Amino acid sequence: MMEAAAGRTRGAAELWFSCIRTHRTNTWWDEHLTEDNASFLKKVVTEEYKQQTTDKLNPLKDEPWPRHEWVEGSRRVGLVAVKLGMMPVWTKSGERHVVTMLQVQDCHVVKHLSKEEYEGHTAALIVGGKNVSPFHRPEGYLEVFRNAGVPPKQKLTTFCVSDNAIIKPGTPLYAAHFRPGQYVDVTAKTIGKGFQGVMKRWGFKGQPASHGQTKTHRRPGSLGPGGDPAKVFKGKKMPGRMGNIYDTTHGLKVWRVNTKYNILYVNGSVPGHRNCLVKVRDSILPTRLENNKNPPFPTFFADGDEEIPEDLYDQDMFQFGEPMAE
Amino acid sequence: MAAACTSRTRQMMGLLRILRNFSQNERLLSTSVLRHNVASDGPPKFTPPSKPVIIDKTQKEASLRRFLSPEFIPPRQRTNPVKFSIERKDMIQRRKVLNIPEFYAGSILAVTMTDPHVNGNMNRFIGICIQRSGKGLGATFILRNVVDGQGVEICYELYSPRMRKIEVLKLEKRLDDNLMYLRDALPEYSTFNFDMQPVHYEITGDVPVNLLKVKMRPKPWSKRWERPKFNIKGIHFDLCLTPEMMEHAQKWAEPWRPYDMLKEYDTSSLEEHIFKEVQENLRK
Repeated sequence: MMEAAAGRTRGAAELWFSCIRTHRTNTWWDEHLTEDNASFLKKVVTEEYKQQTTDKLNPLKDEPWPRHEWVEGSRRVGLVAVKLGMMPVWTKSGERHVVTMLQVQDCHVVKHLSKEEYEGHTAALIVGGKNVSPFHRPEGYLEVFRNAGVPPKQKLTTFCVSDNAIIKPGTPLYAAHFRPGQYVDVTAKTIGKGFQGVMKRWGFKGQPASHGQTKTHRRPGSLGPGGDPAKVFKGKKMPGRMGNIYDTTHGLKVWRVNTKYNILYVNGSVPGHRNCLVKVRDSILPTRLENNKNPPFPTFFADGDEEIPEDLYDQDMFQFGEPMAE
Repeated sequence: MAAACTSRTRQMMGLLRILRNFSQNERLLSTSVLRHNVASDGPPKFTPPSKPVIIDKTQKEASLRRFLSPEFIPPRQRTNPVKFSIERKDMIQRRKVLNIPEFYAGSILAVTMTDPHVNGNMNRFIGICIQRSGKGLGATFILRNVVDGQGVEICYELYSPRMRKIEVLKLEKRLDDNLMYLRDALPEYSTFNFDMQPVHYEITGDVPVNLLKVKMRPKPWSKRWERPKFNIKGIHFDLCLTPEMMEHAQKWAEPWRPYDMLKEYDTSSLEEHIFKEVQENLRK
């Protein structure tokens, strides 16, 4: 109705075609700028980011929040990391395991939500990952980062945190937050596989390739019991879009932490493609709570009071520079 | 006096003959041992001339063969180069402890590994390298030998902590990079004696290429080696296949492949860069 009215005001011809003519109002940041202006903006922005990151490097300078000691039952923040790739790792007894390398690039705490703001039970901290340009993001998104004094990030995640583990927005988070021997849960968006059949999506067995099968080799077969329900139950596993959803792998051991490049070596595989952003958190598995005792709490601060070696290894791991034993 | 002198010299020559069989390092030891004996004797009687110890300083670095192990070259992927540089650091650290020599597919190697199930803990295997695969720390190579009439192939990981020693008994290249067809060749081409002695090889100049064309067992083979996708030059096809069969195999030829631009991967600049980095770090 609205569109028809608009058409009538514009001209008689458009009435008959009933198409909606819109005037394009969106523009990109570069469109009405000269080349000089655009390059100047880019330079200014990168300098601003560097300044912001260096400002936040010393949490002691700008009135940090009080740091508490680790108590059993307290939950601390996690990190946002980039999945680099995988490589093999050997134990001292010669067993081979595979690890995924997760690099923590420019991880900052961006916002603090108190119990009341979040849901009423726990406080939350929003953490941001990799730095990204502000030019193609909406204003509302950039506002959060401006308040924290931190460059805009590609991924924002929320971590439920106990009250003694809250951190001031703007503090940088490093890979040394996790130590070798700890267990970790990693959440990321799985690789999208598109529309997939039932064998790949749900692991159905399908039907035999020969022995008289007519046009039925990868089909789901029966959809359920017969006349009594006389319907197909909700949630029946059927073909559909697979992947591109958030999934978590629990209980992954941290084998090694490289403090110079901020890389975590995490056991096994992790959902997501190479160079995707993942959310790393202390494991919630009850059998792994013992290994996660006495972590750096509320996080690892690079103030300079603790001298950490460039590489931290797990006890069982074979270090490559070691002279050969036995 | 003369008799004692000659017996002493005979002993020394005997010592020398025994010690000559050992490697260079022990040759150095032998000269020091000789000098020590001579000094304890008193006035020197007959001192045989010290064996010349050949050190590489006469050879200029430029004339040494530049070899970069293929597992250092990163594959063509959308990975962050930081990952490769960190892996390379680990590989160089391991190479400082364990000497991994230069070798190709077709060279004969002797590998010593720790094995908890063997009495003396060490396990030595000799074989011809038929394939080198894998990039980074997971690089592997397969050694093949025929032991008591049974063909045995063992896949070793270059950077595994269980590797103790890798010796190159004979350094040479073959006409192909991948010698998997030796599984279907006559067993004489894969048998190597476990008591084989290392053959001397040059550090300068090109690696010798063995132009051997291998005779095959009758068909069927494990793979259709005559097909152009394998591009094998090291099999004597004339003895086992008719010209009609060779023509029939050409049906699977893909003549557009050399012009496929997406398959082009020029590694020359990467190789140079990585070679310099590796040499620098190994020297530290």
